[in-house]
Amino acid sequence: MKTKILVANRGEIAIRISRAIQELNYEAVAIYETPDRDSRHIRIADEAVWIGDGPRCDYLDIDKIITAAVHAGAIAIHPGYGFLAENPDFARACEDAGIIFIGPSSEVIDKLGNKVMAREIMAQAGIPMVPGTDNLKPGDEGLQEAIAFGKKYGYPIMLKATSGGGGRGIRRIEKESELAEQYPIARSEAKAAFNDDSVYIEKVVVRPKHVEVQIIADKTGKTIHLGTRDCSIQRRNQKLIEIAPAFHLSSELNKQICETAIQAAKAAGYFNAGTVEFLLDSDNSFYFMEINTRLQVEHTVTEMITGIDIVRTQIKLALGKELLFNQDHVQLRGHAIEMRINAEDPQNNFMPEGGKTVTVYRSPGGYGVRLDGFCYQGLTIPEAYDSLLVKLTVFGWSWNETVDRLKRCLTNFVITGPKTTIPFYLNLINHPDFKKGRFDTSFLDENEQLFEYVENASEVNKLARLIAEIHQNKQNTYAA
Amino acid sequence: MMTRITEKMNASVVLDTLRHTDGYYITNTARDMSQSDYKNRILLHTDLLAAKAREESGYFSLEITGGASIHVDILRKQVDPFLKLKLLRKQMPDTMFQTLCRGVNLFGYRPYPQNVIRLTVREFAKYVDVWRTFDFMNHVPNMQAVFEEVAKAGKINEPCICFSTGPEHTNEYYVGKVQEIIDVTGPEIILCIKNHGGLGSPKRIGQLVNAIKQAYPELIIHYHGHNTDGNDIGRITAAVLNGAAIVDASDHAFTGFYGPPPILTVIQTLKDYDRVAVGINEEAVIRSSDVIRDQRQYYAQFEAQIKGFMPTVQIHKLPGGAMGSSLEQAAKGGFLDKMPDILHNELPKVQKELGNYWSVTPGSQILWTTAVSNVLDGDRYGNPSGDLKNLLLGKYGPFPFYRPADWIYEKAFGPDWEKVLEQEGGIENIEDMDIDKERQTLTGKLGKEPTEQQLVSYLQHPNDAVEFFKFEEKFGQSYVLPPAIFLRQGGFQLGETLVFRDHDGKEHLIEIGPSQQDDDGRTNVYLNVDHHQRTFIIEPETQAGAAAEATLSKNEIANLAKSGDIRALFGGNVYEISVETGQEVHAGDQVAVLEAMKMQTPVISETSGTVASIFAKTGQAVKPGDKLLQIDSDAR
Repeated sequence: MKTKILVANRGEIAIRISRAIQELNYEAVAIYETPDRDSRHIRIADEAVWIGDGPRCDYLDIDKIITAAVHAGAIAIHPGYGFLAENPDFARACEDAGIIFIGPSSEVIDKLGNKVMAREIMAQAGIPMVPGTDNLKPGDEGLQEAIAFGKKYGYPIMLKATSGGGGRGIRRIEKESELAEQYPIARSEAKAAFNDDSVYIEKVVVRPKHVEVQIIADKTGKTIHLGTRDCSIQRRNQKLIEIAPAFHLSSELNKQICETAIQAAKAAGYFNAGTVEFLLDSDNSFYFMEINTRLQVEHTVTEMITGIDIVRTQIKLALGKELLFNQDHVQLRGHAIEMRINAEDPQNNFMPEGGKTVTVYRSPGGYGVRLDGFCYQGLTIPEAYDSLLVKLTVFGWSWNETVDRLKRCLTNFVITGPKTTIPFYLNLINHPDFKKGRFDTSFLDENEQLFEYVENASEVNKLARLIAEIHQNKQNTYAA
Repeated sequence: MMTRITEKMNASVVLDTLRHTDGYYITNTARDMSQSDYKNRILLHTDLLAAKAREESGYFSLEITGGASIHVDILRKQVDPFLKLKLLRKQMPDTMFQTLCRGVNLFGYRPYPQNVIRLTVREFAKYVDVWRTFDFMNHVPNMQAVFEEVAKAGKINEPCICFSTGPEHTNEYYVGKVQEIIDVTGPEIILCIKNHGGLGSPKRIGQLVNAIKQAYPELIIHYHGHNTDGNDIGRITAAVLNGAAIVDASDHAFTGFYGPPPILTVIQTLKDYDRVAVGINEEAVIRSSDVIRDQRQYYAQFEAQIKGFMPTVQIHKLPGGAMGSSLEQAAKGGFLDKMPDILHNELPKVQKELGNYWSVTPGSQILWTTAVSNVLDGDRYGNPSGDLKNLLLGKYGPFPFYRPADWIYEKAFGPDWEKVLEQEGGIENIEDMDIDKERQTLTGKLGKEPTEQQLVSYLQHPNDAVEFFKFEEKFGQSYVLPPAIFLRQGGFQLGETLVFRDHDGKEHLIEIGPSQQDDDGRTNVYLNVDHHQRTFIIEPETQAGAAAEATLSKNEIANLAKSGDIRALFGGNVYEISVETGQEVHAGDQVAVLEAMKMQTPVISETSGTVASIFAKTGQAVKPGDKLLQIDSDAR
């Protein structure tokens, strides 16, 4: 019997992982909740296990997933991103059940997932950090701590939930007078969202760039970086576009950031693939933000410029293989840009378009184009899950070539039914500052005109509808 | 001087060139040909096909907008009248564009407020170089606002004297009219002799041109005629020989029976009189026809129900522009057999009775509907339309020669007609419209700020413009579809391939697949669009003829009305629903207004009671027998 690996996820990432499993000549086991019963990730896997009606609760149910893996006879589980990917209890449950968790150990996930603990480790290792505090004390005492911090480092500052992540559980405070009101709210929100009311403070770096480093480590402790990514273009702290390598970094700065990332990973005793995130200030100083202990959505851009299959490597490392290449072997060449094509209406605050049916799906192809998606013509987008339809990743040798290719792909990408982020992206990549690589995390907020476009159900489809009506009615009732 | 006139010349240079010409110039009245012989349906697609050859033909102007065409553009051709001019201008940089404007009635059928007139003219004057303006009562004040705005825009004013025949229509009268016009406009104009019926003999037209030329030797005369009797070439020849500088004709591939005669025939005829068509490239004139000839077959459905020249026009005087729609109404209304009586007896009689004014829009519609209802109802003037009443009250302007007889007034307004005439008579001063408020209303309907041009379309035809904007949003720029697709009758063949180029210039290929009906009555139409399979779901309510049509006779409709079931007596559009659900009405109350043939007719309740339901919406098209509203009588 072939070796089986269970993919504890759905959508495009489940497909991405299944492909790597199958390429290694193993079998991929999918899981699904009822709303996903028509999902493509099930068709692509070698077998699929229904784990419940969901939505979103069974994909988070550790017991059910472990049971599914045991029943299927899977020897390992890949968690993907989101859901249980950074849940130390899940990694621990795998370890306890004798199933290989494809990722770092539960212990590493645990300590890096706790923001304060992670900061402590990094501080000890001498990793530069945005000025911040430990967990604040509850009540007035904590408030006084916060006020003192603000006096010392100035505003704005962030109140962050210790157990938060992925852009959630953050409140920005512009001035001291807001603190008294916001502090208790931040605590109760943290409690509600993460079942942990601890919060801490960080100084806000104004208009930073978001730069991150892909790292990969085997069990011997050999740790290699796969270069940088720029993920500055975000909405509400959620990444929309990712670029590799980070643009406009001097080679010294680039080297410095990458080496710091390796240092950070080593300090945490990191194993498998992970991402070290930094804030890059306009004066080129950079600060450690966090280590994401999972496969990132945007890993594709790194794969494009390094030629290394990160998921394949993850699996091999988890199954006990060692890294067969050294840092010197990693060659970064060209540029890659990934855009998340979501079923959302950018003009309506990125409102998800779940429930709508994709009536036409026509994707671009050709040189330097990669698609990671689960979308197909006829798909009714489940309302229960995130709105990512497909990731478009393009490669080019020069930045201009890459942007030209991206533009060609977006122009030729036809998705009708739901509104998508495509027209918004087209606006964005035509912006002169984007073309020149001049953008930071404030780009969307400062360029409201990016949201001004006419939703363009393609002209030919509109005319085809008219032709269908003329055909059906045996005459053009609009011309009668 | 033998100079070609181009759009690049300023107005005074154009007029100067015309004054000193040894030959004559030609206007291609494509718009009038479309209106008179194809019910205004010639598509922009066809005009674009002809554009290059027409540009090279060297006309004085191309009449391509105005008249009823602007309304039909948005109502039936689903094309923005401004976009049309922009696209044609791109293909035809040198040819002046000409419009036909109905003065105070603009491109519609009723007087507009002054500020709407001025805004509309300003917006169209961006694209239109020659403004042919007329009033069906030849009442000069009705054209003044248009004259002023055209002059302000630096464009060419071409005021008309509408021409007709009969004892009152003398040279003295028309020469006097010309003076009235010049008193208002000054001499820097082109004067149009507007012979919309194609009336009078060549000799009569020659005399008229001569009389005007005698009185105003410097005045540039543009003769406009129709070929209804087959003899407009004769009138054109007489006009040119007597000093007309410009004449009207159009492309022979599309000439019919009621519109302009063929350009080439005009050129050939006048050549033997040693008169040269200035600026004209004969080869290009022939080529214009060659490129569009093949398209004519797709417009057959819009050609007149009765074919052949109609020399009896000299008796009934219907204008060429109204022939197609009148004959269509007769065919649909089932009274084609009564046409000889209507055209040869009743219409001339009504014309005399109503003052022998000029039978042209909107006056021609009043004459026509009155004659039709006189014949069909038997009771002459017994069911006067709202527009006839307005005419009698002088709201369009004073009668030019004499007022209709008292008995007609009595029929229309009852025994107290003199009082009504005294209180309501005369031209109404129409108050300016609150354009900003209309803009807001339209913004609400569109969900976004309209463009100035959208606003202009909306101010003229509020319901139809909004429907058109919705169409555009849903179906895109459909002018790119050739008539073979856009006007297809009977559906397409399975496997048929349609090729067209979209507004952005991209070529597309659509292959017709099978259609399937599902259990809910929806039809799935499968099309292969640019090699991708697509399914279009057509809901039952958008399918034509979804409800079984029962045809009711006039008697049946009348009987139903007595029981409170009020139905449309004839086909048309709902202009207004005058009541609300739950409202009390009395027998004789107006409950709705229908509009057909541009004429409004009130719908009167036969019973007293309460309005139980309203089935029709304002702007909706209704067929005879369609339910309008239900009145529950008090007895029940």
